[in-house]
Amino acid sequence: MAPSLRGFRALAPETSIVLVLLVAPFALPYIGLVPDTMNRILVFGLFGIGFDLLFGYAGMLSFGQSAFFGTGGFVAAYLLTQAGLTSVMLGLLVGTIAAAFAGYLVGLIALRRTGIYFAMITVAIAEVFFFMENSPLSSFTGGENGLPGVPAPTFNLGFMTIHPTGGWSMYGFLAICYVVGIVVARRIVASPVGRVWVAIRENPLRAAAVGHNVHAYKLLAFVIAAAYAGFAGGLLGVMQGYMPPDAFTFDTSGQVIMMTVIGGLATLFGPLVGAAVWLYLHDFLQAGLGLGASWRLVLGLVFVLLVTFLRRGILGGVADLYARLRRGVAAPDLAPVPGARDMAPESSALAPQPTRPIPTYDGPILVARGLSKRFGGLLANDSIDFEVQQGELRGVIGPNGAGKTTFFKMLTCEIPPSSGSILFEGRDITGRGVTEVCQAGLTKSYQVNQLFNRLTARQNVLIAALAERRGSFRLDLLRDPAGIPGLIELVEHTLGLVELTSRADVSVSDLAYGEKRRLEIGLALATSPALLLLDEPLAGMSPRERAETVKLLKSIGRGRTTIIIDHDMDALFELVGRVTVLQEGKILVEGAPDEIKASAIVQEAYLGGVLVP
Amino acid sequence: MLSWPNFLAQTFNGLVLGALLALLSSGLTIIYGTLGVLNLAHGAMFMVGGYAGVVAYQYTGSYLVAVAAGAGFVLLLGIAMEQIVIRHFYDRPDEDQILVTFGLGIVYVEVVRFLFGSLSQSMPPPSWAAGITSLGFMIYPTYRLAVVGIVALALLVLYLVLYRSRLGMIVRAGIEDSVMVDSLGINIMRVFMVVFGIGSMAAGFAGIVNVPIAPITPDIGESILVEAFVVVVIGGVGSFPGAILGGLIAGEILSLTSMIDPSYSQVMLFAVMTLVLMLRPHGLLGSQGRA
Amino acid sequence: MTGTKNILNANVSRRAALQGGAGVLAGALAPGGLILSARAADNPALGTYPEGSSGPSVFVGISVPRTGTYAAAGEDLIKGYQLAIEHLNDGSELMQKISPNIKKGVLGKEVKYGIADSEAKPNTAVQNFGKFVSDNKAIMVTGSVSSAEAVANNKTADREKVIYLPGISGSNDTTGKDCARYSFRECFYGQTAAKALAPQLISTIGKNKKVAYLTPDYTYGHTVQKSMEEYLKDGGWTTATDQVSPLGTTDFSSYLLNVANSGADVVVNINFGRDAVLSVKQAKQFGILEKMTLAVPYNTPFLAKEVGADTMQGVLAATDYWWTLEEKFPLAKMFNDAFRAKYKSVPEWSANLAYMQIAMWADAIERAKSFYPPDVIKAYEAGAKVQSTVGEVYFRGADHQLVRPVVIERGKKPADMKGPDDYYEIVEVVPGAGLMQAPDAFGCKMGGYT
Repeated sequence: MAPSLRGFRALAPETSIVLVLLVAPFALPYIGLVPDTMNRILVFGLFGIGFDLLFGYAGMLSFGQSAFFGTGGFVAAYLLTQAGLTSVMLGLLVGTIAAAFAGYLVGLIALRRTGIYFAMITVAIAEVFFFMENSPLSSFTGGENGLPGVPAPTFNLGFMTIHPTGGWSMYGFLAICYVVGIVVARRIVASPVGRVWVAIRENPLRAAAVGHNVHAYKLLAFVIAAAYAGFAGGLLGVMQGYMPPDAFTFDTSGQVIMMTVIGGLATLFGPLVGAAVWLYLHDFLQAGLGLGASWRLVLGLVFVLLVTFLRRGILGGVADLYARLRRGVAAPDLAPVPGARDMAPESSALAPQPTRPIPTYDGPILVARGLSKRFGGLLANDSIDFEVQQGELRGVIGPNGAGKTTFFKMLTCEIPPSSGSILFEGRDITGRGVTEVCQAGLTKSYQVNQLFNRLTARQNVLIAALAERRGSFRLDLLRDPAGIPGLIELVEHTLGLVELTSRADVSVSDLAYGEKRRLEIGLALATSPALLLLDEPLAGMSPRERAETVKLLKSIGRGRTTIIIDHDMDALFELVGRVTVLQEGKILVEGAPDEIKASAIVQEAYLGGVLVP
Repeated sequence: MLSWPNFLAQTFNGLVLGALLALLSSGLTIIYGTLGVLNLAHGAMFMVGGYAGVVAYQYTGSYLVAVAAGAGFVLLLGIAMEQIVIRHFYDRPDEDQILVTFGLGIVYVEVVRFLFGSLSQSMPPPSWAAGITSLGFMIYPTYRLAVVGIVALALLVLYLVLYRSRLGMIVRAGIEDSVMVDSLGINIMRVFMVVFGIGSMAAGFAGIVNVPIAPITPDIGESILVEAFVVVVIGGVGSFPGAILGGLIAGEILSLTSMIDPSYSQVMLFAVMTLVLMLRPHGLLGSQGRA
Repeated sequence: MTGTKNILNANVSRRAALQGGAGVLAGALAPGGLILSARAADNPALGTYPEGSSGPSVFVGISVPRTGTYAAAGEDLIKGYQLAIEHLNDGSELMQKISPNIKKGVLGKEVKYGIADSEAKPNTAVQNFGKFVSDNKAIMVTGSVSSAEAVANNKTADREKVIYLPGISGSNDTTGKDCARYSFRECFYGQTAAKALAPQLISTIGKNKKVAYLTPDYTYGHTVQKSMEEYLKDGGWTTATDQVSPLGTTDFSSYLLNVANSGADVVVNINFGRDAVLSVKQAKQFGILEKMTLAVPYNTPFLAKEVGADTMQGVLAATDYWWTLEEKFPLAKMFNDAFRAKYKSVPEWSANLAYMQIAMWADAIERAKSFYPPDVIKAYEAGAKVQSTVGEVYFRGADHQLVRPVVIERGKKPADMKGPDDYYEIVEVVPGAGLMQAPDAFGCKMGGYT
């Protein structure tokens, strides 16, 4: 029986929200929530789902979501009021697509940068959209007046017609839209794409290095968030019968950010909770207590406190509390990984076939010619010629500052060489980029652990395996990862290889250092490399850990080509068949371990002088 | 309205606009450059400086006291903010820092709104700078001329501190590599606190100096914050000369585009910023130091 | 109403929903009779009728900006509304003088009200409107300072079938292409302001002059600018420049420099609210007022107070009401006295407008002898004449605009002021009839009554 997400427990969040939404109209009016407010909560909840996917899951903080909220809303409103479109659902659909397209264009520009620059560009673009709405396009958008007269949808079911116009009937319509939005979002989060987004958020460098096209995934996240925003914008217009220009303001972007953070990032339901808190306090403080504008002060304080102390927001805090009460159980993962827990743990014997084609070429698996790298005035690598045969286990040593790590970085195309070329399996890979090269079968493990720290060991390996099974980018937003052929086998096999099967569901932050190093190697292994580079795999290990790791390296060396950099020469010489020595950016000498051990040149390089026997 | 006298007038006016932006942005840039914290409350601090100064003016009737009060109050606010909140965020992801300063910005605005209401507050220019000056090709309010001088003075002081004092040297080193400075045994935490205070004070100073030109309301910080960020990006993050250059460029863009079509001024600013980001990712005078 | 059977009734009240056990699905399937209140004799339920008027009191929703650029005018509107409702409930003499039809309350019912801050934003205004209707069963909503608010409320009024009375709204469109069956505007607007002011400017300053405009970048600004341009053309005036600034600008230096260098003889400042205060103050600082005459076609309440008499002297402005009209109009005196007694200050035109809107509304209801909205609307449209603080006025049925005079005033020299609030001398009270445009000139197409 294939493991499935569709167990009842996995669907608990969806069923709960349907129940909550069914009960709300009866219960919430007692605390003063009117249908109009509930409808606004639903609209913002939907808007926030997209934002949560973008920021909570993919880690991209955009201050410009209002641009898409407004675009979707105004395109829909325009079609329905000025262009004579009668089908409200079609109008909403077109609005959503328009917003997604706008998201695509904006993403192409904004995603060229990260962090603060990305945030700045999103602010700038949102301001530009607002300006466009207000002035040049005002004949379409009504300028500062907005577009009034947006009709409500009509559903002709044959035996009766449903025409929600406001109040509770509109609530029903919006609630259904929200549930659809949530169900799709939950699917996306559990899908391979959702996993990759989390990986990108945790460690974008490694996500790219294990073979994921990070830029494409980020753009996808941006487009999806824009689509949700556009859909919500259209619904706002329909709900009010009026599309306001405020949809485009910076305030609106700030609002969805605050609502999502207050409710809980990476929960999907967070924005709904946050919107409920926000709008309820707005009504309660303003109208109820007559405090006027100070409701924003209260909300601002709540926001600051939550960001500081309860980083996962209200829902996250509730989840953590629940976990603590159940003593020691890890906080519930809203998207559990399919895997050995659902399946008999015996199929780790054979690794599944790697997805790359069997290479047909003659000669060495790797040929580097004249490889140089200059950093300003420093020549880190100087015209290196280097060859490795298929199936070799090669060691690379050299004193500190010899340029070993730089050399590796060029081989994996993490940095482009200043001059020279690299041929892998007969093809020129110079300057191709780390993702493409990894997909081709060349990958490395890092000297300093580059793991996805907030995930478990199994989830870490899964990320690498997803790239191996699916290639650098696939648009499988709604797919269940368990359905990918060979995925689970690859994950379990890799965990077995690095002997982490028993610790697979422990979070990385709780692993011992040696286990983390093994996981580090495991990530590289899961990409099914034909050529594996290991950058100081024994770094920082105790003698016992070192012995175990050497055994591990021996076993994984079988059936693939491996190059290892390390300083522990005893271990290395025991392991490898051939050694290359680098010094001051150049190859000093190459040979069998015994030759190198005895070489006077090498001794001089390390010690500055020859040991007189 | 492209005529020679108008062009001169607008260029000159751009200088005045740019001067204030330069001062505001230099505070922002040294904070980001040294601490790596993007202070989204910077605009609010500009506004708070204005209010603190106005209150002082209402009690004393003295412009100088008002300016000192405005700058001084925000200096203290900046130090307090760094010590109480920001310090706990150095180890947290960048986005958390952005969010908390964003939230604090909103809190400051709302506190001021709660205390003073939404109607604007103003303060007249000091008697020695009141009135109108004739500059030959145009008439110009004297106080705006004075602002150029005042801001230049403030920037000079800031320059002396950054480039001619030991503290400044440490700060500039910290902008390049704070880890290294820390490893050298210098109390980097104290440096951070001082930098945050000074950077904020620059905003507060700019805020009170601006009040005789345009009365303040709780919301003025929002749009000027965006402009300050644009200036920082154009000039180069962490670069003090970059903030000055960026400020002047931004001021000129805003006033010169108004000759052609005033409604596009802000958009032009954003267009230039995006262009700079695409072509010179580190800004005009920025360096690889901090991304 | 509509052809299809309207199963889901929009006006399901909270109470009704709970009592009827109506939830989402139940609401979808239940027949349309979810309104539980008793029905009046002939008239079907419409909007908040008859619920809103079935008790001993009725509710009026007041939605004005209390924060932001237009807050000062908003507060003044509130004062006018409050005074009016107080007078209405007490059966005061002033109300009777405006129209003898007005008694105590409306059709014997006390008028209650609620105030909400619209922030001058159309979205917030619409939200407030919706809340007044669903929470309070308001039978009338009133208030606005920005035309954007007014237009949004117009549309909402037609949708909710609840009468809306704009406060300040200067755009031609409010009774033009954005007119509404359920909305009635009292105050003057771009077209009438321009047609009254332009001849005054031409006769005072001369023919074939050049004019520079300071225009706020939204519908109100652009329609007023176009109207002014059109009527000034009659005197051979040409436009030297039109400086369009965004709402909320604090630094007008770039625009003012362009104006100063434009070679204009007159600068027409269309900015409103705080934008007007700042632009006028800064215009003085940039020496523009020495070179050019300032004209304000749509005067901002309290502008003179905020910029000072020294700046305002010689400025020509068009307005809706100025307190010194009490020398001419006895009702103005009564109004000013009552206002001064209650608030210890003189009213601006916003307070006056608010007062008149309430009075005329009460009059319409009394004439209709019913709260049924179409009856009240038809009473309005009959165009009965009432006495206002500026003389006789009446509503025009075709576009729901009150036909009323425009007051032209000129800023006094500080030496000529007889008291601290005596900022203006009245130049002329231009009768309204001659100022009105053809009823369909601005594209007004009214919707149905139900």
